[in-house]
Amino acid sequence: MSTSVLELQHINKEFGHGHTAVTALADANFRVNAGEFVAIIGPSGSGKSTFLTIAAGLQTPTSGKVLLNGQALTQQSEKQRLAYRFNEIGFILQSSNLIPFLTVTEQFKLVDKMARRTFQKSATLKLLDELALSDVKDAYPNELSGGERQRVAIARALYNNPSVILADEPTASLDTPRSIDVVKRLADEAHHHNKAIVMVTHDQRLISNCDVVYRIEDGKMTRTD
Amino acid sequence: MYLGLKEMWHEKLRYSLLSGVLLLIALVVFMLAGLANGLSNGNRQAVDQWHATTVYLNKNANQTLSASQLTLADKKHIDGNTVAPLSNLSGTLRTSTNHLKTTASAFGTSRNSFLMPTVISGHKINGKNQLLISATLKDKGYHVGQKVRIGTTKRTVKIVGTYASSTYSIAPTVYTDTSTLNRLKDSPITTGKQQPINAFVTKKSQFKTAHHGNLQRLSIATFIENLPGYSAEQLTLNTMIYFLFVIALAVIGIFMFVLTLQKQALFGVLKVQGIGTSHIIAALLSQSVVMALIGIGLGLAITVGLAQIMPAGLPFVINWQAFGIYSLALLGAAVVGALLSWRTVAKIDPVVAIG
Ligand SMILES: Nc1ncnc2c1ncn2[C@@H]1O[C@H](COP(=O)(O)OP(=O)(O)OP(=O)(O)O)[C@@H](O)[C@H]1O
Ligand SMILES: [Mg+2]
Repeated sequence: MSTSVLELQHINKEFGHGHTAVTALADANFRVNAGEFVAIIGPSGSGKSTFLTIAAGLQTPTSGKVLLNGQALTQQSEKQRLAYRFNEIGFILQSSNLIPFLTVTEQFKLVDKMARRTFQKSATLKLLDELALSDVKDAYPNELSGGERQRVAIARALYNNPSVILADEPTASLDTPRSIDVVKRLADEAHHHNKAIVMVTHDQRLISNCDVVYRIEDGKMTRTD
Repeated sequence: MYLGLKEMWHEKLRYSLLSGVLLLIALVVFMLAGLANGLSNGNRQAVDQWHATTVYLNKNANQTLSASQLTLADKKHIDGNTVAPLSNLSGTLRTSTNHLKTTASAFGTSRNSFLMPTVISGHKINGKNQLLISATLKDKGYHVGQKVRIGTTKRTVKIVGTYASSTYSIAPTVYTDTSTLNRLKDSPITTGKQQPINAFVTKKSQFKTAHHGNLQRLSIATFIENLPGYSAEQLTLNTMIYFLFVIALAVIGIFMFVLTLQKQALFGVLKVQGIGTSHIIAALLSQSVVMALIGIGLGLAITVGLAQIMPAGLPFVINWQAFGIYSLALLGAAVVGALLSWRTVAKIDPVVAIG
C-alpha cells in the first residue's frame, strides 16, 4: 500500500469554549495520493476553509493528526510551519493571491529569492507557457483578467514543486467557462505531472474532473470515490 | 530586500513623499549643525589655535577670562616649561580717521610666547606699540602699516603683520605684547612683574605647591565651556537637533505603521505562502533605510550647495564629523521607526487572509 502524500486523521476543531463553542470539524478523516485530484464540497460554514488551514499548518487542530508523506506535523514551531508551507504546500486562494507590485515573472523570482537560489527563468517560462500565460509575463496583476490571475496563482503554487496543492474556491471569482478552464488545468497538473491537488468548492458542476470527492456538512466529512 | 525595493519602485510617489519629508528634516539638522559649528568656531577658534591644555585663572573669576585679575608675578605658582601670560581686551578696532570700525578681540602675551600666531605677511612683534591682525581683518581693509586704536583709548598701535583667520567671542582677533595691551587698557602699571594680566595658558604644567595663592587650574575644555554664551548657544542648537531626531523617528514610525495596516491582507497572503514575519520586516527595513539614505544624501548635497551661496555674515561652517554622526543618527531613527511595526506584522494572522 502506498502512503498518502497528505493524510488527516480524526481531526477535531473547536472555536471558543463552553456553551458558545463552535465545532468546525468533527472527527474528519482525509487522504490524498500523488496524481490525485480531490474535491471538497459543502455548504457555507460547513468547515471547508478550516480544514484547508489545518492541512496547510496555518492552524492547529483541537485534536487529531496531520501527516505529510507519513510524517506528523503537530508540535512544530512557527518557523518549521513556515518552512513547511513554503516548501511543501502550494496554496491557491479565492483571489488576491498575487503580490500587486510584482509582474507575473517577478512573482516567481520572489520565490527563488526567498529560497536563496538563482532565478529559474526557463522553468518559469515553461510553466507560464503550459498555463497559456506567455503573453502576460511582464504584466502586473491588476492588468490581468480574473482567469489569468488564477492561472498565475496556479503556476505560482506549482513553481516551488510542492507535495500538495491546496486550493480554496479557486474559481469563486470566475464565470463558468473560465472556472471550467481553471479546474481542467488543475486536473491536468494532477494527472500528467503526478501532483496531489485538493480543491474546495461549492459548485457541483466543477467536480466531474475530480478523482475523489469529500462531502462536508456541519464539520463531518464523507468520502465518495 | 527584493520585496521592499520592488514595492518602492512600483509606488514611487508614496515613497518619494516620505523621502522628501526626511530630506527636509535632514536639511534642517545639517543647517542647525552648520550654524552650531560656525558659532562654536566663532567663539573658540583662537583658543583651538593655541593647542594648549590648561588655563589658569583667578579662582574668584567664576571661570571667566575677562573677570580674572592676575599679575605676571603669579607665574611663580606654576611649574611648566611653556607658561604664557594672556590678557584680553574686547573693543572696537578703529583707524585714526574712523574710516574702518570693527569689533575685535585683542590678546596680549609675551612677544616670544607660543600663543603668538605665526605671521604670514609683515613681521613679528619686535617693539612697543605693534599689532598683529588676523586675515579676517585684512579682508575688511586693514593693512600692515596702518595706525589703529582699540576701544575708547586715544593711544594708537601700528599694524606690523597678519596671520591666519582667527576669532574669539564671534569677533576677529588681534595680538600684541602684554605691556602694549596694558597701555591700550589705560592700566596704571605697564611694565614689570606687577603688570595686570587675565590668565596663564600652558601646554603642560602643574601647581608647584599645594598653596597656589589665588589661582585656579582649568582644562581647556572647561575653559571653552565657560566662554560667555558658548554653552547656552550650543545647548539650544543641539537640543533642536535632538528634537529633530525624535520627529524623524515619529514620522518614519507612523508612516511605516500606516502602510503596514494598509497591507495587512497582503502580508497575510505572504504568510500563507510561507514568507514569514522576518522577511516582511526585512522588506520594511530596506524601504525605510533606502528612503532615509536618499533623504540624507540629498539633504547633505543641498546643505553643501547652500553653504556656497550663504551670506558671509552667517556663521555657518560645515563639520563633516558632526554631519556623519547626525546622518547615522537619522539612519538609526529610520531603522527603529521601521522596527516599531514589528508587533503589528507579527500579529497578522494568515488564517484571516484566507477567510
Ligand atoms: N476563527 C474562528 N473563530 C470562531 N469560529 C470560527 C472561526 N473560523 C471559523 N469558524 C466557524 O467555523 C465554521 C466553519 O467555518 P469555515 O470558514 O471553515 O467554513 P467554510 O466551509 O469555509 O464556509 P464558506 O463556504 O462560507 O467559506 C463556521 O461556523 C465558522 O463560523
Ligand atoms: Mg471558506
